[in-house]
Amino acid sequence: MSIYKHHYRAYTGRVTPIWTRIFALARYGLAEAWSTKITAVLFVICLIPPVGFLFTIYLSNNPSARLLMGTVGTRVLAIDGSFFLRVLTIQSWLAMALASCIAPRLITLDIVDNALPILLSHSISRFGYVLGKYAALFATLSTVTWVPCLLLFAYQGYASPVPWAASNLRIGVGMLAGALIWIALISLLGLALSSWVKWRGVATGVIFAVILVPAGVGAIVTGVLHTKWGLLLNVPVMMSYLWERLLDVHNRIDNALQLPTMAIVTMLALGCCLSMVMLNTRIRAREVVRG
Amino acid sequence: MMQQADPGLREDLMRQPWALWWLQAKRLTQIELRRNLFSWRASWIYFLAFIPTLIISIHSIVDPHDPTSISDDTQMLASIVHLYYIRLGVFFGCLGIFSRLIRGEMIERSLHFYLLSPVRREVLLLSKFAAGSATALLLFVTATLANVALIYLPFGAAGRDYLFNGPGIEQLEAYVLIIVLACLGYGAVFLLLSMMFKNPTPGALLFLGWEAINPVLPSMLQKLSVASYLRHLMPVNIGVKGLIALLTVETEPVAGWVATLGLLLLITAVLLYSCYRIRTLEIRYTTE
Amino acid sequence: MNDLIVFENVSKFYGEVLGVNRVSLTIPPGITTLVGPNGSGKTTLMNLLTGLVQPSSGSISVMGLSSRDANKFFATVGYCTQFDFFPRDITGWQFLVDSLMLYGMSKLTAIQLAEESLQRVQLDKTAAWRKIDGYSKGMRQKIRLAQAIAHRPRVIVLDEPLNGLDPMARAEAMALFEALGCQGIHLIISSHVLDEVDRIADRVVLITGGYLIAEGNIHQVRQEVREKPMQVLVRCDRPEALASKMFAMNHCVEARLHPDGKGIFLRTGDVDQFYSILNVIATEGIVKIEAVAPADDDANAIYQYLIGSDGGAL
Repeated sequence: MSIYKHHYRAYTGRVTPIWTRIFALARYGLAEAWSTKITAVLFVICLIPPVGFLFTIYLSNNPSARLLMGTVGTRVLAIDGSFFLRVLTIQSWLAMALASCIAPRLITLDIVDNALPILLSHSISRFGYVLGKYAALFATLSTVTWVPCLLLFAYQGYASPVPWAASNLRIGVGMLAGALIWIALISLLGLALSSWVKWRGVATGVIFAVILVPAGVGAIVTGVLHTKWGLLLNVPVMMSYLWERLLDVHNRIDNALQLPTMAIVTMLALGCCLSMVMLNTRIRAREVVRG
Repeated sequence: MMQQADPGLREDLMRQPWALWWLQAKRLTQIELRRNLFSWRASWIYFLAFIPTLIISIHSIVDPHDPTSISDDTQMLASIVHLYYIRLGVFFGCLGIFSRLIRGEMIERSLHFYLLSPVRREVLLLSKFAAGSATALLLFVTATLANVALIYLPFGAAGRDYLFNGPGIEQLEAYVLIIVLACLGYGAVFLLLSMMFKNPTPGALLFLGWEAINPVLPSMLQKLSVASYLRHLMPVNIGVKGLIALLTVETEPVAGWVATLGLLLLITAVLLYSCYRIRTLEIRYTTE
Repeated sequence: MNDLIVFENVSKFYGEVLGVNRVSLTIPPGITTLVGPNGSGKTTLMNLLTGLVQPSSGSISVMGLSSRDANKFFATVGYCTQFDFFPRDITGWQFLVDSLMLYGMSKLTAIQLAEESLQRVQLDKTAAWRKIDGYSKGMRQKIRLAQAIAHRPRVIVLDEPLNGLDPMARAEAMALFEALGCQGIHLIISSHVLDEVDRIADRVVLITGGYLIAEGNIHQVRQEVREKPMQVLVRCDRPEALASKMFAMNHCVEARLHPDGKGIFLRTGDVDQFYSILNVIATEGIVKIEAVAPADDDANAIYQYLIGSDGGAL
């Protein structure tokens, strides 16, 4: 035996619980997502509408300020379910733009640079990997969706001269649920598409295309085949139906084109499941040989 | 002075190896067409082109075709061309096809093989553009022809009469012209965007937004849009309401030939600038 | 058309990062090796030569041609880059024939030349019919090399051509380079395998930090490095006696016994005088000399002396 002394000792010290390790990935994911100016610019843009809405709530609850502003329509200043539906809709679509920018950064670089075999050779499972990336995306998207929505809701509750929050709790809960459903959908969709489209630039486009093109196809199905079920391909329409129902807002859409809530939820769940299958297929510790 | 300069320019042009360039362009186009059309990665472009055809074919099988509903179907076809093909199908299809031609090869780090071949870079760019255009045209024009056939032929004699003796043939010509110009226009823009930006998608999405709001912009700015030229060529007015109507509104009526010529000039200008860009293009894969 | 490759005061900056700076170089036909540590500017120099990047200042001409005249230039130049990437979904054969067809030649000629180049790099034709995506690293290197030489260029630029090749394939590649070099073409090679390249190279170009630090015949360059005395290995029966004789001379600065005890490494500041004294010693018969060979007269030693630890790891 040529080695006489064994100095090497394996590490036997304390280790953190396995579940906390996904936060390492989430932390690095966040750092990567925020390493580009585009994310910062988009984030700032996402926070502009809440400032406007905050001002509207202030005006609505402050008669003297309203007098100073002159003639402002009462419809604009009505703080009700429709108002918060507008807030949620705008914030959700801005979050979509943000997700399409961030999600590819979280996944494509790992796949293109063959980092998956290295990452997954550590004590992190494939599920943990996706969860870590998902957490990074969830945290960022939350700050532009349900967090500002609920802050505005809380401010309205505080500023309103009459007890408002308790009687309109449905709106707050609806916004939270609506935003969480939307974040879940776009995060999974963004991560799944990014894992399949290795080119970051294309991934951003594909995320938009996957939302917009089926909407167009759904419109053709509805128009050509005279059936409302084509709308099940139309994510923007489905989400607006769902948000309206969650916030208990009576919509202006033709009854013949209304979709059952169960059908909408099933379609969204299907989209999420499909995304998970895509992630399961793609997130593996294998080297991608590029020809 | 001009009389002296012209023969020089002509001689210079005559001296160029046009036959070789033509041969190289043909071969490059063949290579690119093979890669664009016959690869599983192109399947989504087939999907974009032919999904309306699939829906229309279901309609042609399951729905009754009363001759009185020809006008409804004509409206439907116009809506599909105007709102689906131009705004979504051709847009995203061309984004995929044309941004892959140069930037995609830089991402895949294989562009240097082309730049090291004995082909002038302008010939390379124009050949790639030709191949991308041929791919897009083959798919989207075929889909348009199939859509027209599937819309009208199930009506039997009335449909054939509308198509061959009525306004159908003119509408078909207009749709084909619109699709051809849309493919070339979007193609040229996306090819340039892909050379200007490492990630052309945000630029393309801004362009999508620009195209959407273009009808309400001043007429000078309307000239910098592909869809604004195409709007003037639409043979059938589609009666849509709400926000969607913004995409179809025609603020300043323009003659068809002027719109066609305008768009062709825009395409030429974009391609000329692309040729200038590719002359100075450098291979720096590490920054991709 | 002259037969020289000329860099005239060429500089290349990538933004604020220096690629190469004020390189003036004239390369005659034969085998030239570019030697330098990672990031020294070797690939930049090759990319400049082939027009993949444009110089920030200065000019480059290859046998009187400029890369802007693509038709003539790339018919003359073949470049095997170190980028290990290929167009997708393409077979090795398609890759070769497609690139040859762009030269304007007939399909038959392209097929003949493709077959010839496959033979030269010793890549099996059945392997060439497979998709490149499934190739091993060595096969990918070979198909790249085949593509660079297929059109029979007069200037062949090879960036790290021995990377990924097993010892057998390496020997075959070296034999190919030697054969190409003997045909009077330009062969410009950058490689980290200095020992092997050293055997066949006519001249060496040393570059570090974007600056050219030496160029020319290896032996001439070695002699120019005066601050590092030349090391000579003398195989003899009495190395200690030889050492004591040699140390009587001023120019002999170091002596080190060979591990087998049957030879000695001597370091001298004046190699000409050293050899004449060695002659005298041999004639006197004090020491029986079996062999004399320079021990640091190669690219590796020149690299060590001129770039050394500053150059970083090879």
